[in-house]
Amino acid sequence: MSTPAITIENLTKEFTNPSVFSRGKVTAVENLSLTVEPGQVYGLLGPNGSGKSTTMKIVLGLVVPTSGRTCIFGRDSRDVESREAVGFLPENPYFYKFLTGSETLSFYGRLCGLGGKMLRDRSRELLALVGLETAADRRVGGYSKGMLQRIGLAQALVQDPRLLVLDEPTAGVDPAGSHEIRDLILRLKQRGITVLLCSHLLSQVQEICDRIGIMNHGQLVREGALDDLISIENQTEFVLENASPALLAELRERASAAGARVVCEQKPQQNLERYFLEVTAEQGGEKK
Amino acid sequence: MTSGNTRTAAAVHASAHKLFSLRRTAAIATNTFRDLVRQKVFYFMLVFGLIIIGVSLALASFSFQGQLQTVMDVCLGAMSVFTMLLAVLATAMMLPKDMEDRTLYTILAKPVSRFEYLVGKLAGVTMILVVATLLMTAAFFVVLHFWQGREIENLQLTEPAERAAAAISKIKAGTFTPTLLGGIGVILLRSIVCAALTLMLSCFATSWLFTVIVSLMVILAGHLVPIARSVWQGPLGAADAPFHIAILMRLITVFVPDMQLFNIVDDIAVGISVDAGVFLHIAGLGAGYVLVYLLVGWLFFAWREL
Amino acid sequence: MKGRILGILVLLVWGIAKSSFEARLEQRMENTRLGGFKLTASLRQQAGQAGFIAALGGLRATVADLLWISADSAWRKVQYGRMKLIFDTCTAMQPRRVLFWDISAWHMAWNGAAHIANHEPDPVARAAKMREFFLLGKDFLERGIESNPGSWELHDRLGMLYHDKLKDSENASKSYEEASKRPGALEYTRRFAAYYLAEVPGREREAYARLMALFHESEHEWLPTLFRHIQELEAKLDIPDAERIWHAVVKLANTPGNESSAYPGLVDLIKTGSREPAVVEAARALEQKMDIPAARRVKLPPHK
Repeated sequence: MSTPAITIENLTKEFTNPSVFSRGKVTAVENLSLTVEPGQVYGLLGPNGSGKSTTMKIVLGLVVPTSGRTCIFGRDSRDVESREAVGFLPENPYFYKFLTGSETLSFYGRLCGLGGKMLRDRSRELLALVGLETAADRRVGGYSKGMLQRIGLAQALVQDPRLLVLDEPTAGVDPAGSHEIRDLILRLKQRGITVLLCSHLLSQVQEICDRIGIMNHGQLVREGALDDLISIENQTEFVLENASPALLAELRERASAAGARVVCEQKPQQNLERYFLEVTAEQGGEKK
Repeated sequence: MTSGNTRTAAAVHASAHKLFSLRRTAAIATNTFRDLVRQKVFYFMLVFGLIIIGVSLALASFSFQGQLQTVMDVCLGAMSVFTMLLAVLATAMMLPKDMEDRTLYTILAKPVSRFEYLVGKLAGVTMILVVATLLMTAAFFVVLHFWQGREIENLQLTEPAERAAAAISKIKAGTFTPTLLGGIGVILLRSIVCAALTLMLSCFATSWLFTVIVSLMVILAGHLVPIARSVWQGPLGAADAPFHIAILMRLITVFVPDMQLFNIVDDIAVGISVDAGVFLHIAGLGAGYVLVYLLVGWLFFAWREL
Repeated sequence: MKGRILGILVLLVWGIAKSSFEARLEQRMENTRLGGFKLTASLRQQAGQAGFIAALGGLRATVADLLWISADSAWRKVQYGRMKLIFDTCTAMQPRRVLFWDISAWHMAWNGAAHIANHEPDPVARAAKMREFFLLGKDFLERGIESNPGSWELHDRLGMLYHDKLKDSENASKSYEEASKRPGALEYTRRFAAYYLAEVPGREREAYARLMALFHESEHEWLPTLFRHIQELEAKLDIPDAERIWHAVVKLANTPGNESSAYPGLVDLIKTGSREPAVVEAARALEQKMDIPAARRVKLPPHK
């Protein structure tokens, strides 16, 4: 069996209450264990304050755990070298706004030990990947929210990491941008990159994740493959095109004859997001 | 993602991770430098230029003796204050800004240690301070050269020959001296110590305003260290001071850097030549401060929850 | 928490180590600053009290300069009281700036006193007030010397003040003597120390010895004032003819090859009152020998 991309073992994190008057402790994460296998897209879900951000920070070595440990590809998160294999996009990232897009990438590339022609090629390639070629020489200070998110993604990918940690990658981004980011994640998944995704946008998580974990009050309350968790075992869905009323009537009859119950029958609705995208594309709306 | 790139990036992964990498530190340093330059910190220098030109013009309308000295005093004084303020203000903003913008997360999520991050930041500010000092020195020397010529002219007109000759040779030998360069070096060193101090404070402070205020207070108190020292060991005698005052003064001398030692420009402007040994001692002391503040800053920062 | 405790420990250990290093370095810098001379205890105390000045840090010199310039306008408005206040503050801020002490004293003892001399009609009050200004100048110089023990200039000015204003030749001589011992002192300080000693009643012997030492040292010292003082003392002390300086100069004049150095000596002797026929003869002989035109030959002064 290959080394897991992320291993979290019995992780507990307590924060000291910063208030001088009540020196109580707040438990952000309690005895959490989970494993993310290579190649998976793992969605970590939970309401605000459920401990998912803290978990992510511990995995990245930004916060030291009170007990337990986390590893990235078998290397302890507290070792700096564990971060050679990981790219991170924080929620609402800002970068040095006086740098241009390509300067930003070359800065992060140099932090990963890249340099010279290799780094130049790599940043050009990434700018193309996230669709920022035309904005490469503009200062990041003038970027829109979606562009910031995309340069953030490019930055996370700069050293070609095997694991990507994304915190609300589409927060505050318009539907077109959000759609692109989702597609990008799917493309990365095809290349075998492991993704740990934190998001509130459940529909999006549903579209791209293989496996999810749901956290609440610092504990992992549900965990498993997405299909296993949400498919309704005793129901089946058909979507028919050009079915005549007679055919429908016949189907209803056959079903009841066989002892099945028709739970619902309706015209499938177009996804609002797709509709919106179609309309804005027709209007020749410029990509932002 | 071509196969070639994948291979080379993988090669980077495979290479042993160095505990301290100059390349990473240099990346942070040059980035900090570039960021500060583009934030137009050098407009600060324009103010300096205006001050020394203004002082020059103002002096020209007075017929007072010692104009050359005054030019030196004002320029060196302005350099001390400007570099110190530049060091404190530029440094105090760096860490809180990186944290607030979450840029720090993206940097530390790369294989960069917190020590490398701090060293890189300090090195970036140091680069800014070096460039600022060079620019100010160049402007200062132009003005000084002008006033040296003027003072010599004045002496030739007003003083009897023997005195004039003595005074002129004294001025010529006493204006652009190695001691003056050394003094400017000490101003630079002092500003780097101030930057290191500010960086250390910002490693546990929660706001940049706190950092700025505490840094300036420590620097101000630093100028009073000789007085604190004289209370418990000088000729004033510890016996005269109440116990709690003596303890307080002792604490000040221990925890506050003696900024007066870095304040030798006041002496240099008066023409006192300082020997190389003293410069070496000051340089050693300054380097000690920078290293200790960096180490302590790292200790504060290494365990800090981000 | 662990990091903070460790950090504070490091600061403590460093602080203890550095504080003794800093104390030693301060001592060393003070020695350099004062050129090996010691600060007086009273001045150390004053420096301690002037904490606010120390707090100005790198701007101390600049503030002192700006204040100094403002003294110029006070002078133009003839506000000597205000000038004294400004000078006191400037010198307190930048006590190592010799010029501040020097000019402060000059404004008081020369300009201030001159102003009184021109504007006080009552002769008794005039003398008293002028003396007050002289003493203010003397005070600046003496305090300046305390802060700058190595400065020859301040001793020199003090000597001038004693001699020209306070008419105290003994202290003037002493001050010039001190000035001459300091590095960079101009040569005249040593001469003045000896010249003014000659004016002190009761110390003629000592003065005579000093002046003769200068006379024998080099012909470079053969200046009219030296000859005048020596000849006066020779008369006062009844020095035998054979030991008087005219003997030595005439002897030099009669030694072939020394004409050009002996002649100015003879001229000075005559000009400062020598009536010795041998001197006049020797001078005339040299004038002929050296082809000095009649118009440029030394003229005998009329008898007193």
